[in-house]
Amino acid sequence: MNEYKPSLTRLARLAHKRPDLLASLIAAYQEQEGLDDTGLATFLDCPPGMLPRLALCRRPRQAPHFRQDVERIASYVQASPIKLARLIRAAESREALGQLSGAGPSLLLAARDREEREGSQDEPPDAS
Amino acid sequence: MKATQEEYAFHQRLLARDDPTAFAELAEWLYTSLVHSTCARAGATADPVLVEEAVGQALLDYHDAPERYDPDRSSLQSYLSMVAYRDFQNARAKEHRRLKHQVAIADTPFGDQEGGVDWDMETLLDHVQAAELWKAIQAAFPDPVERQIVELLSDRVRDPDPYAKL
Repeated sequence: MNEYKPSLTRLARLAHKRPDLLASLIAAYQEQEGLDDTGLATFLDCPPGMLPRLALCRRPRQAPHFRQDVERIASYVQASPIKLARLIRAAESREALGQLSGAGPSLLLAARDREEREGSQDEPPDAS
Repeated sequence: MKATQEEYAFHQRLLARDDPTAFAELAEWLYTSLVHSTCARAGATADPVLVEEAVGQALLDYHDAPERYDPDRSSLQSYLSMVAYRDFQNARAKEHRRLKHQVAIADTPFGDQEGGVDWDMETLLDHVQAAELWKAIQAAFPDPVERQIVELLSDRVRDPDPYAKL
């Protein structure tokens, strides 16, 4: 049992199911961009060994704290704060879109209505 | 024994819920020693992978609800180790109950056991104790990854993703 080596990577995998932590966002970003851990570390300009620590960080708060939190996390894992911010924003946007897509057809209908209105600007606005 | 100064400082940071690196730093500091101490508590025959998973869940549950821990009652390490050990025991008991009814697992590696035991279901349920079966599985599959595969198979998991992740 003394030879057994625990790994923060295993803890980071368990953390995927915890919405307050970065783990799920990072995993989603990797999947959408087709990045393995090495690719992700290269993108973030951080040592690959820091990725489990990054996954265990709390998601940055929204503005006005977002920048401060991102810089704090980036400093902790030795990553580029700009690239980290980009990753988080991209993953959060995809996540929000995924939640919205549950509305499905009604969202598409709204877009179509707007296009029809834009195409015929002389027409009076739809009373409904 | 109450929380140490360092444990108390981490606890306050987690309670505030505004510190993005607090939990990661705590895990980095405490995780390995927590797994080892819980493994020691669980005994030499305990599956260290199961123990580690229990420790991970205990840490993550603490992150989600740090107010459940009282730093005046015990150290954070003791508290987390106790929670992890309890979760490990529950997981192990659940595993034993499940294995007790898994005739298919017992059939293959143990069919040539000495002693002339007839491994039909009735004999298995009458004579084989779940704990002995679990020990036999641990002996047959010393590699923790292989044991996890056996668990997935016994759960009849058909989705290839969990296997691929192992």
